[in-house]
Amino acid sequence: MHLDDRLFSDKKLYLPLLAAVLLLPWVPMGLAGPYVLRVATLTLVYMVLALGLNVVPGFTGLLDLGYVGFFGLGAYTAGLLTVHYQWSIWLVLPLAVMNGVFWGVLRGAPTLRLGDDYFAIVTFGFSELIILVIRNELWLTRGPMGVPGIARPDFCGAVLDQPWQAYYLILFFLLLVLWVVVRIRSSRLGRAWFAIREDEIAAECVGVNVANYKIIAFALSAAIGALAGAFYARWFRFVHPDMFKFWESILILCLIVFGGMGSISGALLGAFILIPLTEVLRIVLPDSLSNARYLLFGLLIVCMMRWRPAGLLPVEKE
Amino acid sequence: MKRLLRLIGVIFFLTSFVAVSASFAETIKIAVASPFTGPLASFGEGVKNGALLKAEEINSNGGINGKKIEIILGDELCDPKEAAAVATRFASDPEVAIVVGHLCSSATLAALPIYKEAGLPAITPASTNPEIGKSSPYYFRNVYKDDFQGDFLANYAEKVRKFKKIAIFYEVNDYAMGLKEAFVRQAKNIGLRVIGAESYMAETTDFKAQLTKFKMMRPDAIFIPGYAPQATLLISQARSLGMKCAFFGADGLDDEIMLKNPDADGLFVTTPFLVDRGGAMVKEFVARYRNKFSIEPNWFAANTYDAVGLAAAAIAAVGNDREKIRAYLAGISSPEKAFKGITGATYFDVNGDCLKAAFVKLIKNGQWVSAEEQLQ
Amino acid sequence: MLTAIFEQSSLFLQQLVNGITLGSIYALIAVGYTMVYGVIQLINFAHGEIYMLGAFLGFSLLSGFFGFGLPFGLAVAVSVVVCALAGVLLDIVAYRPLRRAPRLAALITAIGMSIFLQNLALLIWGGQIQSFPQHTIPPFLGEPALLLGDVVVSWLQVVILTTAIFLMLALHLIVHYSRIGRAMRAIAQDKTAASLMGVDVDRVVSYTFALGSGLGGAAGILVGLYYNAVYPTMGYFAGIKAFAAAVLGGIGSIPGAILGGGILGLAEVFGGGYISSSYSNGIAYAVMILVILVKPTGLFGRQQRDKA
Repeated sequence: MHLDDRLFSDKKLYLPLLAAVLLLPWVPMGLAGPYVLRVATLTLVYMVLALGLNVVPGFTGLLDLGYVGFFGLGAYTAGLLTVHYQWSIWLVLPLAVMNGVFWGVLRGAPTLRLGDDYFAIVTFGFSELIILVIRNELWLTRGPMGVPGIARPDFCGAVLDQPWQAYYLILFFLLLVLWVVVRIRSSRLGRAWFAIREDEIAAECVGVNVANYKIIAFALSAAIGALAGAFYARWFRFVHPDMFKFWESILILCLIVFGGMGSISGALLGAFILIPLTEVLRIVLPDSLSNARYLLFGLLIVCMMRWRPAGLLPVEKE
Repeated sequence: MKRLLRLIGVIFFLTSFVAVSASFAETIKIAVASPFTGPLASFGEGVKNGALLKAEEINSNGGINGKKIEIILGDELCDPKEAAAVATRFASDPEVAIVVGHLCSSATLAALPIYKEAGLPAITPASTNPEIGKSSPYYFRNVYKDDFQGDFLANYAEKVRKFKKIAIFYEVNDYAMGLKEAFVRQAKNIGLRVIGAESYMAETTDFKAQLTKFKMMRPDAIFIPGYAPQATLLISQARSLGMKCAFFGADGLDDEIMLKNPDADGLFVTTPFLVDRGGAMVKEFVARYRNKFSIEPNWFAANTYDAVGLAAAAIAAVGNDREKIRAYLAGISSPEKAFKGITGATYFDVNGDCLKAAFVKLIKNGQWVSAEEQLQ
Repeated sequence: MLTAIFEQSSLFLQQLVNGITLGSIYALIAVGYTMVYGVIQLINFAHGEIYMLGAFLGFSLLSGFFGFGLPFGLAVAVSVVVCALAGVLLDIVAYRPLRRAPRLAALITAIGMSIFLQNLALLIWGGQIQSFPQHTIPPFLGEPALLLGDVVVSWLQVVILTTAIFLMLALHLIVHYSRIGRAMRAIAQDKTAASLMGVDVDRVVSYTFALGSGLGGAAGILVGLYYNAVYPTMGYFAGIKAFAAAVLGGIGSIPGAILGGGILGLAEVFGGGYISSSYSNGIAYAVMILVILVKPTGLFGRQQRDKA
């Protein structure tokens, strides 16, 4: 059985993993604790993003080069609503997700007929336009001034001001997203997506409503991106257009290429290895080479495509 | 599966090892954060040099209470996400007593909640966004705010240079837009006409379309709130369109690369620091700086030099307890208690902001020279 | 009143001159995208980086960055040739092994190469804007060639336009009247059939990369001189805009790329001059999206074949 199917059914697999992530905040790490926990929280955010991006290129086979657009959209929606109305995260987050779905569908609907590379270009252009609007429409987003002073997440009226609380919160969202994508993967919907990925025309011929299923994939992917963004804004407590550059789209793509496109466990593993690695490299590399990290990511993508195109944890069992 | 778990274990081990190993030594650490690589590296280089020079000076005089100062550098590329990561690393190192940085306001604002949470005091030598002081009791700055500089430039343009019509070409970023707003407001107050305002993005290289528009309006001068890399292109393109008007800007244009551009002759800028003004302290700083790095010190170097000096003075007085350092800095609240450095006297208001003098310098024959007429 | 009309018309004329210069640069880069796409149906994301490489090589050879300086003409020629070779190398190392792989794999590789090359340049030359030392550039380039009231045309603009036209004509002759050009067109029509007829596909693809990259490198130097600025991320935005130009003209079509470049250059200048300057990059994105959604074949493109 494939690893992805065992994620929620094989006790020997999920119990130790779950125990490890649940216990992490309580491992004594002395004063380095907050730093390790921050990297861990960031890693979980990117795991959510990788799972979300994975839905489109992984499940339906269409390359999305603009995922950062939904991440930014979610972050700004949540950040601005919080700053203006002081609403709870449990109200702001669903609104951000809905906004993500709205734009995801709006972007997706006209692109249904496009071939793979044109789709990639449209997603890229669309997300750059979103970020350009965020940067320029000062009345709405404060543009390059950024939005400082966003409140921390809250739960039942209490503010979650401890780092471990934010960690558990994103862990909760991660498990939720994971549960959804694992369930969908083995459902009728998932099988329809795989059919589209393998051969769109053949899928259409056997009666799969390609347009509907594609739209659902776009909506789900955008929703997950916006969810990650909404959490990120409340956790980071500051949003700025520079946080949502094109490079972020590439980084998230890199995570799923590394782990294996279409593979849920691969997306998790990709984020688990690469996000902490960027921090380790920051410390290990001398200052003059700190940019070399990006170079390594470029090289990694090229090498993966050349020698291991299915990633570390491929969808098909070898 | 076992292989996967082993891999997970190794990575856990590595991250915690790297994080923990960073924290045992017998020195006092002052953390300095700035972009040291990337497009703004020349500003960051001033920050780095200024900090290293001051630390060397203190250590050669026996350190602080017998302990040596160590400068640890954090390169954040002026990127908010990187800045937050660097800030967390500083905050979780117990030997870091105080942070000097960040340079870009967006990076400072991203790092600010982290320092506030960790109770780690910080002094920015360069971020001029007005939000910073208000947002955290742990953030101080020994540089003026955008609004002061904008007011000052409007006054200087009108009173000293007698300009009547100004066009503004600003970059879309917090620094430049704060400057522009303050300038426009003050210009209105004193009857200086702003006949047009255009904006550009950091990645813009072609300014001709907007310059052509300005050319038809015949301004006396164009004000460029922004940074030197774009401004130097902008000025050259204006000259190639045959524009003869004057150009001026704020401290973001105070950079060596402007000197390589022969078209920039006559450009004047505000700056918090002039190499040829001030007493013996300034002369000594400039001489030592030239000697050590064989370049001219810029204002980032001077402000950072003073910020590290301020940090060292605080540590010398109250030890390396973060809370006490904050209290000490907050206590420097009047001209009498001010810290006297090469950029003049520094003391903080309730927000941790300070009032500093601004100077004007201009490019003459490829060299920066102080303007003969300064505005007090 | 009369002066106002006069000013408006000279404003318009000046913008026209600026727009045509910009457009001819976009066209030079766009041709590289379109040729490669026509032959192997790959969006070569790293093409913008080849253009950046051209600018940096020109800068380095003129300023003595590598320890020696070359005279102007020779430096330009060497840079163009090295860029052409770099393009060929890029294809052999990164794309050729993936010829039979899914198209997605090649596309992702192209993005990876683009990131890699951009950061490699950052490591070698640093992230700051470099400018050509004054003494290395022929002095007449900065002088105005034509002064018409308020309208200025600099020699550099004249040189850029004439070089672009000359290179485009040369390209046209190569593609339509040489053996290799005929082979390119044959492969663009049907790769399998062409190879069955004895066309050495790999060799022709290499020539295509060489030609496209050489033009991209030439554009890099021209732009470096025009703005007197060379920096590692310059290929990113120029690449996107040129790609948008290629899409507008109909990807795969060389005359389309030229026309698309011209239109986009003018749209950007007039959009920036008359509407809003902060959205001038947005114009390229919007044009790109609209063309793809409304008329994916662009102005001159052929009907796209079904995925096979």
